[in-house]
Amino acid sequence: MKRWVLAMLRLSVFMAAGAGWLAAPARADGDARASIVDRLCTRETEARIAAVDELLAGVARKEIAADWGAAIIGAAGDASLKCGEGGVRVIAKSGRFRDPLTLADVSESSAKLAAPFVNLRVRAAYEMAGGLLLLITAPASPLAAKAADDLQKHAGIANLDALQMAVEAQPSPDLAGRLQAIAAFRALRHPDLERRIAAIGKLADDPTERNRTALLDLQGDKTAAGDPKVAAALAASIASIDRWLQFSRLMATVYSGLSYASILFMAALGLAVIFGLMGVINLAQGELIMVGAYTTYLVQEAIRAAAPGILDLYLLIAIPIAFCVTALVGVLMEITVIRHLYRRPLMTLLATWAISLLLINLVRVFFGTQNLEFVTPAFLSGGERIVGDFIVTYNRLFAIVFALGILIAALIILRRTKLGLFIRAVTENRDMAGCVGVSARRVDVLSFGIGSGLAGLAGLALSPIYTVNPNMGTNFIVDAFMIVVLGGVGSLIGTLIASVNIGMINVIIEPAYGAVAAKVIVLLLIIIFIQFRPEGLFAPKGRR
Amino acid sequence: MTAILESISREIQGKGGPARRGLAAERLAGMLVVAALAILVAGTQGLMSPYVVNLIGQVATFGMLAIALDLIWGYAGILSLGHGLYFAIGGYLIAMHLVKVAYLQTGTPPDFMLFMGWDSLPFYYAGLENFPYALALIVLISGGVAFLFGLISFRSRVSGVYFSIITQALVFVAMLLFFRNDTGFGGNNGMTGFTTLLGWPIAAPETIAALSAASVLAAAASLYVCARIVRSRLGHMLVAIREDESRLRFLGFETLWIKIAAWVISAVIAAIAGMLYVPQVGIINPRVLSPELSIEIAVWVAIGGRGTLVGAFAGAILISTLKVVLTASAPELWPFILSLLVIFVVVLLPNGLLDAPAALRGWLEWRRQRAAS
Amino acid sequence: MSKEALYIDGLTVSFGAFRAINNLSMIVKFGEIRGIIGPNGAGKTTLLDVLTGKTRPRSGRVLLDGALDLLALSEAEITLSGVGRKFQKPSIFEALTVAENLGLALRSRQRSIWGEMVYTPDEGDRAHIQDVLGMIGMKGRGDLSAGKLSHGQKQWLEIGMLLIQRPKVLLLDEPVAGMTDEETERTVTLIRALRSPERAILVIEHDMAFVQEVADLVSVLHEGRMLLEGPMERVRADPAVIEVYLGR
Repeated sequence: MKRWVLAMLRLSVFMAAGAGWLAAPARADGDARASIVDRLCTRETEARIAAVDELLAGVARKEIAADWGAAIIGAAGDASLKCGEGGVRVIAKSGRFRDPLTLADVSESSAKLAAPFVNLRVRAAYEMAGGLLLLITAPASPLAAKAADDLQKHAGIANLDALQMAVEAQPSPDLAGRLQAIAAFRALRHPDLERRIAAIGKLADDPTERNRTALLDLQGDKTAAGDPKVAAALAASIASIDRWLQFSRLMATVYSGLSYASILFMAALGLAVIFGLMGVINLAQGELIMVGAYTTYLVQEAIRAAAPGILDLYLLIAIPIAFCVTALVGVLMEITVIRHLYRRPLMTLLATWAISLLLINLVRVFFGTQNLEFVTPAFLSGGERIVGDFIVTYNRLFAIVFALGILIAALIILRRTKLGLFIRAVTENRDMAGCVGVSARRVDVLSFGIGSGLAGLAGLALSPIYTVNPNMGTNFIVDAFMIVVLGGVGSLIGTLIASVNIGMINVIIEPAYGAVAAKVIVLLLIIIFIQFRPEGLFAPKGRR
Repeated sequence: MTAILESISREIQGKGGPARRGLAAERLAGMLVVAALAILVAGTQGLMSPYVVNLIGQVATFGMLAIALDLIWGYAGILSLGHGLYFAIGGYLIAMHLVKVAYLQTGTPPDFMLFMGWDSLPFYYAGLENFPYALALIVLISGGVAFLFGLISFRSRVSGVYFSIITQALVFVAMLLFFRNDTGFGGNNGMTGFTTLLGWPIAAPETIAALSAASVLAAAASLYVCARIVRSRLGHMLVAIREDESRLRFLGFETLWIKIAAWVISAVIAAIAGMLYVPQVGIINPRVLSPELSIEIAVWVAIGGRGTLVGAFAGAILISTLKVVLTASAPELWPFILSLLVIFVVVLLPNGLLDAPAALRGWLEWRRQRAAS
Repeated sequence: MSKEALYIDGLTVSFGAFRAINNLSMIVKFGEIRGIIGPNGAGKTTLLDVLTGKTRPRSGRVLLDGALDLLALSEAEITLSGVGRKFQKPSIFEALTVAENLGLALRSRQRSIWGEMVYTPDEGDRAHIQDVLGMIGMKGRGDLSAGKLSHGQKQWLEIGMLLIQRPKVLLLDEPVAGMTDEETERTVTLIRALRSPERAILVIEHDMAFVQEVADLVSVLHEGRMLLEGPMERVRADPAVIEVYLGR
């Protein structure tokens, strides 16, 4: 129950999108600072290590400012914390002198000053504390990875509370995971049995594969897990993690299924619109997706050359451009070829196949056959961990949100606009629509353009996730057709439901039996489905 | 532009015209028998280079594929975009036969099996060294698969573009399956390393000539059989199915069995074409199952002339020869030529290049009228 | 042979919540030409769809010749048992010749695929085709491509394709729609000539004058129900029929 709440809490915090680390450290207690600096100035190894620990504990309780801690540990570490007779302490570095308690500039002291000798154990403590404090004060700094390395070296002496704070501050899921593991390792081998059991229980609160591995490691460590109480706690925690991992795996599958379904939906929607309206199956739809992806790439390169400062925004800037370019290609196809073939649907298969061949080879000539390199914008990198190993990655979220946007836009166009009315009228009865003054030709051209533009948007949305090369279209086209077959002609909702189903079946079957089996099973399911529902979806409707 | 197109299409009169009768096809079949004998003589006597003889044989198998597709598409109006499946069934089975023969001669399994760590052939190779058994399997399996698929799809009345798409999906899935290395069919790299065919060394000029002549003969036989079908009342029924299937049903015909029959005959012809093709190229791999190859068959038929056996055959010969020549001399140019040719033919010549003379007349007529007014 | 060619009892057809035909009963006798009229959506074409097996009813019984249950048969079996249907739109095979169209229709039983392949028309079959060609006014035009015929000729050819099967029940769905006056007149003559004691003919038509000319009895359908049955004069005078056709 508690974990449910925790997961929901994380989810809601994430959804609020305002998730940030609210860090307003309380004013440090001056006495505590003085006491710490005093002890750092001794030559006693144990006293200095205790001072470091106290400092970290203070930071974790938010009683001591982390900035100050970082500065003082840094000074102690590089021997710029100088101590003199009679309690004189100065930070002296490159000709600048500061007061170690307030960090304010002071004039040069006349007293005789020296830095206490730093032995190996003390150096380890300083490196550990320095790394931790950097991770707390500047978690996104480029030095963060190096700090984590330092920390890993000294995992055995790291301060747990401060470590936990660093974990929470860490924006990169990778690094956060590493820190979590360090913390777990530290806590699990705590000399105090009670704390060890508490740590085991705590790990179970965050059911990740990493924590499970840590617990299994501990289970294998006879000296640490010898106690029966510890062993019992371990077994219970591992079982609990296993249950949660299953749940998180399910969530992750659903999520990746949804994101694949979104791509399929976008690919199939254009196909379904065109097919429902004109009875034309566009075998070049996959290549229109490719054109959309290549347009996105060109937009990225143009921005890189003209205004590198806004490179991160290229995906958004490319939305209208990718739509228009592919729509234009579609309109050209319609005007030059397709319109001669409306009464010969099987011939359009061949004609659009020829067009797809032409597009692939044109792109090959101009761009080559290699995969394109796309910049991942900052707002699409990373993700939010919800529960266990289930991470909502932003690039896939982008595809899902984008597909939802397209669905809503398509619904509005079809249900609320005049063009939509015309499209529905022509789909229903071409001749009758002509009689009441709808120009079927113009509707054809426009909707072919829209259907193609939708494919372009699909290409845009998948470029941060999938590889982009001249042959990419063929990967989507068969699935997209299956969706149109399954979802029924010209039905937006049918297309949606079929996309979700096929996307889900693909991701559910793939891990267990492989991609080939997934395709085989999807095809067989569709053939079986046709046996039971031929009328609704296949039989020509209407009276003769 | 529209005016030209209209006058051309008036001239061509696609659907309304009577079905072409297949008499020409029977004459062509006779000519092919003579050609087969000539190839046999020229090949064995060294009058023709083995390369050319081999090429003729390969192209003849493509011609068979086109005839097979034309029977169901041109006449019954059922477009298969997956006939590569049946071609591959024939090809893979004959390759299994050849591999088994080579294994019995050398005692070592082919490389792709050694690679998988198998030291003997899997059970389904049993008996395949026997050629009549292999031949029977080719007919039975291709016919059986076609029957099953036809029964399932035609019974649920899947038709038109839906049917085409499903055939394409089927061949695509088969390709993915055959790309796997653990199936015993050579996976990605396919099957090769054939030694002898019916006791003849496979690379000898005599074998090449015999295979080539056999292919041309088989093409002649397919032409003859299909021409007979087309001229019979069964052929009228196929045309009736193309024109208006439900009308035919209301005349008291179970169109299901008619369609299945044509579909199975077509599949078996395609499988025999595959059987003849593989020993001539010496290798088979899953790329024969790629949807592109299957679509290309339809392209041959469309370009040559749908609904005429001679046209379909000629289209296959013309385009595949052109492909062989051009992929050797200008490989990057070929896809452009092919795609533009398809678009041109599909838009302007609905019945293929056989329409070209009529289209030309239509164009001249249009010019004459414009000059007159 | 019973006198009842078609016996329809309690027929109900529904598409979803909509009842296209609602508890319809009627009897058509051999030798009779029955006209069926009614406004759009009255269920006329749906009735023909049921009789030919294209649509399955929710409930009801349909017997041919007093004994054969049509609802249990497939489309092809219904045709072979003697029900021929002419569609609203001319449905002939335009790629075949006129004679080939008739030849396709000419068969009395299911043959094997092989049988169809080796079939050649015998003397009797050829004579029969010539007879029908004469009846539909196309003597000597057997080799003409059906696609080149005029609209009226196509309609007659389709009727000929039904005739050649010697049906017990002939269903004609708007046979004169889109015809010129002269063509309509010739069609009247043709349909009258088709009357026979072994045959019942059902004609669906909007053209009242045409129905009056050919039909013995008229059934008026309205919203899937039988509104009235009787001779045309009575039907024309009936206030309920007038209301249905003219509105309130």
